[in-house]
Amino acid sequence: MHDVGFLRDWTFIEEATRVPALAEMVREALVRAVFVRDDRALTREIVETLSRPPAVTVKVKDDGEIRKLVQVVNGEEGASTLGLRAEDFHYFRTALGVGRDREIGLIPRPRTLLTYDWLVPEQRGLQIDFGGYADIEFAERAHRAVAQVGATWKQLYDRALEAGHYAPFVPTVPLDFALGDALWGDAPFASYQWEFHFFVQALRTISSYGHRTRIGFEAVSNHGSGYDLLHAVLPLADEFFIPVAIALRLAPKPAARKTLTYSFDDGAKLVAALDNLSRSGRAVDWIQVADAVAAPMLRPGMAAEAFTAQVMVGGSVSRVTAMEKALDGLLAGFKSKASDVPNPYDGPADAYRKTAERVARGVFVGEVRLPVRALAELQAALKAYAEQTAAKAGLIASARASGTVSAFPVFESARERPRIYELSRGVQQIAKKIPGSVFVSRLSHLWRDDLDYVRRVDLLRRLKLEIDAAHVVQPLVRL
Amino acid sequence: MANLDYAYRRLVNVLGPERVARAEYDRMVYSHDFASLPKPALIQWRLYPDFVAIPQTTEEVSRLVRLSDETDLPITPRGGGTGLFGGSVPNRGGVLLDLRKMNKILALDPNDRTITVEAGATWHDVEEYALAKGFSLPVVPADAPASTIGGAINSGSVGFGSMRHGSLRDSVVDLEVVLPDGSVIRTGPGLDGSGAFANLTPLFFGAEGTLGIVTKAVLSVLPKPEESKAVAFCFDRPEAGVRFLREIVDAGLSPYHASFLDREHFAFERALRRESPEPAHTVLVSLQGPKDEVAAEEKSLDTVGSSLKAERLGADVASDLWARRHTMYGARRLSRGLVVSHNLVPVDRLEEAVEAAAGLIRRLKLNGAIHAALVDASTASLAPYVLMDDTRPSGGTALGFVKKMGDAALALGGHPMGLGMLMVFNLRRMHGRATGAMGSVKHVFDPKRKINGGKTIEVWTKFNWPLINTIPPGAMAAGLNLAAFLRRIKPTRDRFVRAYGRTGGA
Repeated sequence: MHDVGFLRDWTFIEEATRVPALAEMVREALVRAVFVRDDRALTREIVETLSRPPAVTVKVKDDGEIRKLVQVVNGEEGASTLGLRAEDFHYFRTALGVGRDREIGLIPRPRTLLTYDWLVPEQRGLQIDFGGYADIEFAERAHRAVAQVGATWKQLYDRALEAGHYAPFVPTVPLDFALGDALWGDAPFASYQWEFHFFVQALRTISSYGHRTRIGFEAVSNHGSGYDLLHAVLPLADEFFIPVAIALRLAPKPAARKTLTYSFDDGAKLVAALDNLSRSGRAVDWIQVADAVAAPMLRPGMAAEAFTAQVMVGGSVSRVTAMEKALDGLLAGFKSKASDVPNPYDGPADAYRKTAERVARGVFVGEVRLPVRALAELQAALKAYAEQTAAKAGLIASARASGTVSAFPVFESARERPRIYELSRGVQQIAKKIPGSVFVSRLSHLWRDDLDYVRRVDLLRRLKLEIDAAHVVQPLVRL
Repeated sequence: MANLDYAYRRLVNVLGPERVARAEYDRMVYSHDFASLPKPALIQWRLYPDFVAIPQTTEEVSRLVRLSDETDLPITPRGGGTGLFGGSVPNRGGVLLDLRKMNKILALDPNDRTITVEAGATWHDVEEYALAKGFSLPVVPADAPASTIGGAINSGSVGFGSMRHGSLRDSVVDLEVVLPDGSVIRTGPGLDGSGAFANLTPLFFGAEGTLGIVTKAVLSVLPKPEESKAVAFCFDRPEAGVRFLREIVDAGLSPYHASFLDREHFAFERALRRESPEPAHTVLVSLQGPKDEVAAEEKSLDTVGSSLKAERLGADVASDLWARRHTMYGARRLSRGLVVSHNLVPVDRLEEAVEAAAGLIRRLKLNGAIHAALVDASTASLAPYVLMDDTRPSGGTALGFVKKMGDAALALGGHPMGLGMLMVFNLRRMHGRATGAMGSVKHVFDPKRKINGGKTIEVWTKFNWPLINTIPPGAMAAGLNLAAFLRRIKPTRDRFVRAYGRTGGA
């Protein structure tokens, strides 16, 4: 899960709780009022702040244009810079109080959002559309790629296979995400063994002074090279820098790949099977689980059992054969198995887009992370909750080698913010009751106020203010 | 700065007299790490701490950190002292915290598959404990017998297992850290990922103890593998051995570990242990996992090996090499010191990197060996080492090799590992314009530079006066370039043992 202006939203909520007129409101009520825009509960200043969406969207084609934009908002364009470096000019301008009198920031525009966008908009700033900035370069002798942030995951996946590589991570919920959506949106990329950040070796960015700044190393991992800024800021990268390209670690294209589809008529059997697999030491590429409600979104027209688990295995022909045999044993308890059911990811781009459009009709509120053994319990609780609230609920999940599951509840419901808020609360309540389970979303992060967590976010916020001293990259909004 | 006697009394108040040392011999032990530093280093740094404190709890560490506000003494945390660039050595004296008494294994949770340990426990002890309980650690640093949990995390180590299970960073779930203000914080989002937007753990991974003192760690564990097997191949030419590593990646294999050791390494070993294998360019591969997978991967390795005309070594040789995997630098006994240059290079350029290392060893007239290993599908570690005698005036010039090797790694798209006190000049060369952001990290966490100050992002001298309180990174680099130049014009090659010469070493 990644952010959409999380530090800005968090800082805003923190400060709003200190506004005397709102001091009586509990944090959660304030978050709700801001999220659903309950203007009656908010002060006039807050309502004004929430009513200032970005004024301009700029479609960029190369990073030189972004550097130019940064210079504009920094006041370097249209003012005499006296030949100073950007950092010195910024100091000079702020020290003398000349130039802009209001923070104007830049914010990347997500291509596809799984959940919802910001609470506090970029205050009449510039929104950058990276749709036209979508080139992908593959290394010649190595399994690496540098993808511009506007490139879609599907483009990377298909072109990597054509070039003899393999992108082992997939979006658990197959929407038509751009790769940049993993940096400033909430694209849930992961593989069976690793989270998305494992595959990211470096970010090409533009700093708040307009410099091209590389975070990490494009060809190797960044171990032992000082503070690991890359992985520390990755979930919030767009609030520290403007990422323009991602250097990704890929894998060699396997000689053979096979999608195996196992159907289970009972949740208990499914979780026992997945737990068994996670303890076996065997690594598959990915496992996607869907319940009877979600499965038709992924594979329309097919009869769905209570649960369907699709597993991708790859490697040499003999490895795939051996793995299939091993999986049949490890996933014992399945009702039926098929090896001819297409997976959502490998079809042509048009088919993927159609699947994505179908899946996007559902309402997603975030991710529930839980031990695999509790997956069936989550699904049952969601079903019960859906019956109470007159919404239909399903589940798409990816299993991990660590014995955990990332589950994404999906609702057939109106896409309205009050409804999304209510569903988010509902899922959080369910997650609270399941031991070892937790609801991860931007709202859940804003609800949290335990001391350790608040200190960590505060340290990150201070780091942002140091790195983005020019207040260009999604500047924090002051009340 | 407070009077040292007063500071001693205050330290004793916190820990008791038996856990605070100020005798010269006690302090001398902590004036260096694995690397040998030439004597002239004492001109610019106070490498001896004023006091050595041995805390046993997080609370004690916290009190010691708060105490430094009163005494104004800088703090240097230290684990096993296996670092190479002075990261755990004082530069202005002060209080050195030896964390090795904080070595308890606190809990192993078989359901969450995590183990909670204190930072002073060694990787070896933790691994043994996990194995006894039916689990294994995904990644174990190369210097596991002496390296502490906190030490390896702070140095951003790579290690055995990363090729199959991912990096060491990814196996660290959570850390407990004493921050420079004395407060204690948990850095991670927790296993549940509930604080995924506020995960500070990566910042402490590789921070060299400059942002805070790691006191506890939660690490992930895996079920113990069904089968473990080591296989080894030897090659006529080093290029073929290195090519073998690249072929492993291209074939999509995921061994637990795969490394290349050149002929010189075994020549050194032979000089020390008669039962060491016949010197040859060797690749050692460790396979772990289900029995059928291990067998299949072994078969694939044989296929790759035969295409490169490799000779497979006996199972007993491979097992012995694997058993001795943590004792890479026995050759130190041949000289009076040893310098290792740790670098990460792209797998696709590993052959060039090995060639560059061999060329440098030759040109600088050193005795050295080359060790390379796969870290992940795109990264290989290259750790050539050279022998030195730091009791001779020419000994310290071997440090020039580390500088030149780092230059070569950077030129190949990789980077040298470790900054500490000696290699800070590499920071800007590695990170370019992002270097400023690195400085911001230190400023946010430790604005007063209390914890391990003058390292990683800057180099302090022992003097606290303007103009001479820091060493410009360029000056350090120039010094090491000069050392390399002196090596180059040295008329004779180093030779530390006759036995080594007899085996036909360089």
